Amino acid sequence: MIYDFFELTTQAYTVALRDLKRFWQNIYWLAGQVAMNIADLLIFGLIFRGIVRPDLIPDYIRFITPGILCLSIFISSFTIGREVGVELRREVTHYLVSLPITRGALVAGRVLGGVLRGLMYQVGFLILAVLIMTPPTLDKWILILAASIFISVTMSSLSITLVTLTRDFNIQAAIRSLVYFVFFFMSNVFYPERALRARLGPVAPVALYSPVSMAVTIYRYGFGYSTEVDLVFNTAGLLLWSTATVLLAYKLYIRNLRR
Amino acid sequence: MRRKAVEIINFTKKFGDFTAVEDLNLDIYENEIFGLLGPNGSGKTTTLLTIATVYKPTSGDIYVYGHSVTREDYEVRKLVGIAFQEPKAMWIDKAIDLLTWHARIVGYPREEAKRVVREVMELLGLWEHRNKYFYQLSGGTRKKVELAKVLIQKPRIAILDEPTAQVDVLSKHALWDVIKKLRSEGTTVIIATNDMFEAERVCERIAIIYRGKLRALGTISELKDSVPKGDIIEIQVQEELRDREALRELEVFGRVSVNSDMITIYSDKAEEKVVDVIDALRKRGLQVKRIMVKEPSLDDVFTYLTGAKLRE
Ligand SMILES: Nc1ncnc2c1ncn2[C@@H]1O[C@H](COP(=O)(O)OP(=O)(O)OP(=O)(O)O)[C@@H](O)[C@H]1O
Ligand SMILES: [Mg+2]
Repeated sequence: MIYDFFELTTQAYTVALRDLKRFWQNIYWLAGQVAMNIADLLIFGLIFRGIVRPDLIPDYIRFITPGILCLSIFISSFTIGREVGVELRREVTHYLVSLPITRGALVAGRVLGGVLRGLMYQVGFLILAVLIMTPPTLDKWILILAASIFISVTMSSLSITLVTLTRDFNIQAAIRSLVYFVFFFMSNVFYPERALRARLGPVAPVALYSPVSMAVTIYRYGFGYSTEVDLVFNTAGLLLWSTATVLLAYKLYIRNLRR
Repeated sequence: MRRKAVEIINFTKKFGDFTAVEDLNLDIYENEIFGLLGPNGSGKTTTLLTIATVYKPTSGDIYVYGHSVTREDYEVRKLVGIAFQEPKAMWIDKAIDLLTWHARIVGYPREEAKRVVREVMELLGLWEHRNKYFYQLSGGTRKKVELAKVLIQKPRIAILDEPTAQVDVLSKHALWDVIKKLRSEGTTVIIATNDMFEAERVCERIAIIYRGKLRALGTISELKDSVPKGDIIEIQVQEELRDREALRELEVFGRVSVNSDMITIYSDKAEEKVVDVIDALRKRGLQVKRIMVKEPSLDDVFTYLTGAKLRE
């Protein structure tokens, strides 16, 4: 039992290392992404700062920064899906499933690969957040880290799940955009909860149950933007999201791999 | 009795409505070099991928040292290593990184992995290509990288899907030696090929499959003996034989198979019949360019079992 667990972890870790290494190989792609994310931050932050009603959002740049933290995880963790998609098309997956490892370790390794990509990519933005916002205390750091782990597990699992739905590269790209749209525009990343409730009415809870909203809520609390936050609801919700998506990824990835 | 390494029982694999392999039964014994021989699309790769737990059988099962590929796939994978027909790798990986990762995932500790990768790469003449990206490697070199994976892994059962396709003649001989050495170190080797020369050089027992079905099984000499009429008359005619009547006339001498301008007749007492055969062809207005009487080769066995195109 303990040996099994040890075996699974080493195998998953080795699989994840492969994905991590490849992530840093795409250095130009990475640089482009970072530039884009920072541009998002500045554009939204500086421009909306003067436009949005100050009684709704006092300081838009402090409001949007946690959203960008979440966006950075989405961007980086979701790349694991692209990798898996290319492998499926070129049948490199045949190689992966023939290796002397368990299918569980393979999926866990891929998800872990996405998580590590997400966390490492996010580090720079966390530093930026510390500079822009209130530096968190240790307990808040733990909360932030937990949120980052959960949201990156969710995003990498989701990307793996979605990519197995079709082998058509264009449809994969379309799905990715759709996910981005649903998760980011139907969330509290760009507008506050109050605005969501006012505009979306009965649909508002959908936006608030989104994993992105939950993570952003925790980030806002962690970096001192908001104080009144239901931590139990948001952490438990994120945990639920990550568990559900991991299970889904496991089921679909494996079903797709072995025909 | 030798121990069975792989037991294929009533194995059928369908892709949608198409049956790629049908009701295959086959035993592969421990520590032999077993050849799976068949023309393109006959189901070799499908069978090998199922042994390697990449595909699932549609019905029937395959056992690897008693472990079922459907129910105990992980146990099976611990025993099997495969070199794919189409090399499988991401193009942006360097040859050495690819193989080092492979060594790690099959269980070597870090330092040990580096050592074994270097050893195998040098053995296959890959060391000088170690820092090339996979997409920069030539076709034959990619095949060698694919084979290197199995040599690094040293599995109980090595599956090699056309290991020397795209490989130059000199390298071919070297690879055959490497494969034989792998066997002498205790590995059971299963090779898919459509290269008769390779099969004759390397394999001890051979299964011939055609259109998803097993057509013959045995050692090379057993297969040669299985051609019912021991002699072979090979006739090259001026132009392709399209005349079904002429074909039927030739069949009084034995089983006939036609491949463009080559007519092969499986017969006995061939020397006595040659004159009659030429006569029969002349009557049909067919000019004989060349005629030869010989013992069957593996090629002939293969043609005998799979090649009678006009009959089907
Ligand atoms: N994934 C698949 N989906 C549909 N059909 C398939 C698939 N894989 C193989 N086939 C079909 O199954 C048959 C057997 O294919 P297979 O690759 O096993 O042949 P093979 O003996 O290895 O041929 P070759 O010598 O060309 O490698 C072929 O007709 C092929 O088109
Ligand atoms: Mg094949």
